[in-house]
Amino acid sequence: MTQGRLFLSETGRIVMAAIFALAVTLIIIFFASKTPWATFETFVTSPLSSKRTIGIWIDDSVKLALAGLAFSLVFQARQFALGVQGQVYIGGLFATLVAFSPIGTTWLALPAGILAAMIGGAFIGFIPGYAKSKLGANEIVSSLMLNYIAYDICNYILRVYLASLESGLTTSAPFPAQSIYPAFIPRTRVDLGIVIALATTVVVWFLLYRTAWGLKLRLTGHNARFAAYSGIRSSFIMVSAMTAAGAIGGLLGAVFVQGTAYGKLSIGFEAGMAFEGILITIVARNRPLAIPFVALGYGYLRQGAALMNYRADVPAEVIGIVQGIVILLVASSFTVPGKAMLARLMGNRTAASRATS
Amino acid sequence: MTPFLEAIGIDKIYPGGVHANKGIDLSVAHSTVHAVVGENGAGKSTLMKILFGVEQPNAGEIRLEGQPIVLHSPRAAIAAGIGMVFQHFSLVPSFTVAENVVLGVEPRAGLKLDRKKASETVRELAERFRLPVDVDVPVEQLPVGQQQRVEILKALYRDARLLILDEPTAVLAPQEVVELFAAVRSLTSQGRTILFIAHKLPEVLEISDTISVMRAGKMVGTVAAKEATEKSLARMMVGRDVALKINRAAPGIPHTHLCRISDLTVKNDHGLNAVSDVNLVLRTGEIVGIAGVEGNGQSELFDAIGGLRPISGGSVELGTTDITHVSVLERRAAGMANIPEDRIATGSAGGATVAENIVATELTDKRFVRHGLLDLKSIRDHAAKLIEKFSVRVQGPESAIGTLSGGNMQKVVVARELSSEPSLLLVSHPTRGVDLGATEFIWQNIAKARDAGAAVLLTSADLSEILALADRMIVLYRGRIVAAFVNTEEVTPEVLGSYMLGFAEQSAEERNAALA
Repeated sequence: MTQGRLFLSETGRIVMAAIFALAVTLIIIFFASKTPWATFETFVTSPLSSKRTIGIWIDDSVKLALAGLAFSLVFQARQFALGVQGQVYIGGLFATLVAFSPIGTTWLALPAGILAAMIGGAFIGFIPGYAKSKLGANEIVSSLMLNYIAYDICNYILRVYLASLESGLTTSAPFPAQSIYPAFIPRTRVDLGIVIALATTVVVWFLLYRTAWGLKLRLTGHNARFAAYSGIRSSFIMVSAMTAAGAIGGLLGAVFVQGTAYGKLSIGFEAGMAFEGILITIVARNRPLAIPFVALGYGYLRQGAALMNYRADVPAEVIGIVQGIVILLVASSFTVPGKAMLARLMGNRTAASRATS
Repeated sequence: MTPFLEAIGIDKIYPGGVHANKGIDLSVAHSTVHAVVGENGAGKSTLMKILFGVEQPNAGEIRLEGQPIVLHSPRAAIAAGIGMVFQHFSLVPSFTVAENVVLGVEPRAGLKLDRKKASETVRELAERFRLPVDVDVPVEQLPVGQQQRVEILKALYRDARLLILDEPTAVLAPQEVVELFAAVRSLTSQGRTILFIAHKLPEVLEISDTISVMRAGKMVGTVAAKEATEKSLARMMVGRDVALKINRAAPGIPHTHLCRISDLTVKNDHGLNAVSDVNLVLRTGEIVGIAGVEGNGQSELFDAIGGLRPISGGSVELGTTDITHVSVLERRAAGMANIPEDRIATGSAGGATVAENIVATELTDKRFVRHGLLDLKSIRDHAAKLIEKFSVRVQGPESAIGTLSGGNMQKVVVARELSSEPSLLLVSHPTRGVDLGATEFIWQNIAKARDAGAAVLLTSADLSEILALADRMIVLYRGRIVAAFVNTEEVTPEVLGSYMLGFAEQSAEERNAALA
């Protein structure tokens, strides 16, 4: 199959999955809501209802895309490191420390904060990689455990050293203005984050598809035995992939706390969003250039569900169901259901045999 | 007389668009051995899968003893009296022979399996059809040839009147082939019919009554074995004359010592010695063939020299460099190349493109990588050049290698490994599952590398391949060299076979004469 046809069939699959997921959502709404059509309309149209909601949608998509990019790097190397959440907290913490340091009020505040966050995240990414290559520790377990450690370190430092009294010990004082992204559209969350996400997309794509390191990484992911046979040092690739992904996770932490939405460090600021990056990258098949589009699409559904929660009588948990259906449909080799059965009924044996084989 | 099995106008198009069978007619007479031969991708396997109910044809009819029959699943085929032995066995390793045979249709005593009855029945069956096997031994302890018997017994236990054997000799040593053929003859004399897929022509000629030849999804013709020759069959299969004849290394050229393997010991995955105290010198411009029944240390030996398995004792020197413990990258830099035994598991990254697969071993080369950046154009050009030179059938360098047929994928692997102009070339099973045309091509290229001065170490499950290519041969049995020969007319598969099965061992003097 050529690249072009592959692209078309993958896009078609994603669109079909989205339509199918929407249909299921509609069915659920019919059971849960007294005014199903109005509720469904809220779900589908509300993210576009005001400048503010559009801003939230874009801002969420930026964060989802960055999380997706971090996961795509490790997944392409077929390493199942799930440490993005921990990297986000450490990255957020480091960016916060920079914001409250003397640098925080200078023009260096943003780049220094971002750099610190990336270094912190990279370190958190490096640990499970190193543990795997030297000690054979399973990266799934070690990265998940590190998430807890990072989360609690962040909270500890926040409560003990950074919390402002007015907030009831759950958030820091607001950052100095120099440490917060400029908003591109006033009174929305559309800020520098969008540039960072797009730049990161291009960088990850470039690393993966234009550098020798990226080729080695992808070959290791495709077939580790082949990589070893070809003379690729796969343990170095593995550790460096996890470290680079960690840097992106840390960057996402900075985008959280430095963004106009926060401009401060709060307990649990990431709100589980890091893990949704897994969904983004699975749907995008780990292709960096597809990730922003998937993030926008998914961010929209997510935003619609949240607004439905406020404005209609169906809880936002519905989105969890939609999420599950989309993953299931995209990750499995999904075709339109019933096609095979229909074909069998019509006596076309090609399709029928496909269904049975 | 009505044929036992008839296939009329069988047509099969796979969902991907591959037209694997085009109006195939096949007629198999009762109590005969009917061989179906053809190159890889000719559609033999598809036809057999249709006859066993694994695949459904798009058109056509199957008749069993004159009655039309629909085989919608293997279960239906078994019920109709058709059994199939696949190349890859489906046995439970820890179960005994008898348990494996009766699995699924067990004789019961109450709720429990009646072991005694199972053993007895299977033993009787084995005696009746001349398939001797110890029925109370776990299958995992049996050599491959006996495991195959268990598969045949499984089919016979389900009362198969037609047995489809898919390349049954591919995994067997010569003596085991003789035994298999004896069993096949006893089966036909007792009224069973055999449908035999193969591509080793001498064997086909020996065992079959009738031979059908397929090419590119079509049935080219059916001939009586008595009237066919190897040459005529090869021409039918490939569509042109095939010369599977490789010239020996030209005499008179000095063969300098290139690679010295001393007291080499290698452990297998279970920590046991798979290769013990192997001493061998490889010389430039010469092919050394390693014969052995699979699992006698060949894989471990090649992996160890290739750098994919640690060496636990002894040393390997390439030229003046000691490569015993160095990385694959350093080995390749020293002039090693490696055509691995499994092109899918080891020799390629299926999801990556052909160009990426080709450049994978050359990522330190300034032509392709500068300052850590890929030179995509020269990578693509290099791949396109090799695709052209090795006439690989592929859309282009950007196609995923996993979409290629076995023969074409192997050509890519061979092209990549030879393109570095290696001084030491490791070759394992270079033409396994590769069709005749590609085999000829790959053989010629290995010989070309030899003539360019490479020392080649070759192993193959196909003895005729070693006999055709090697200048010297050694036999590995349980990880030791038990015999060594200079390749002459006197060395036949039977001679090698007796050493391979451990029936004989050369004296040290005899061995060293050919090893030095």
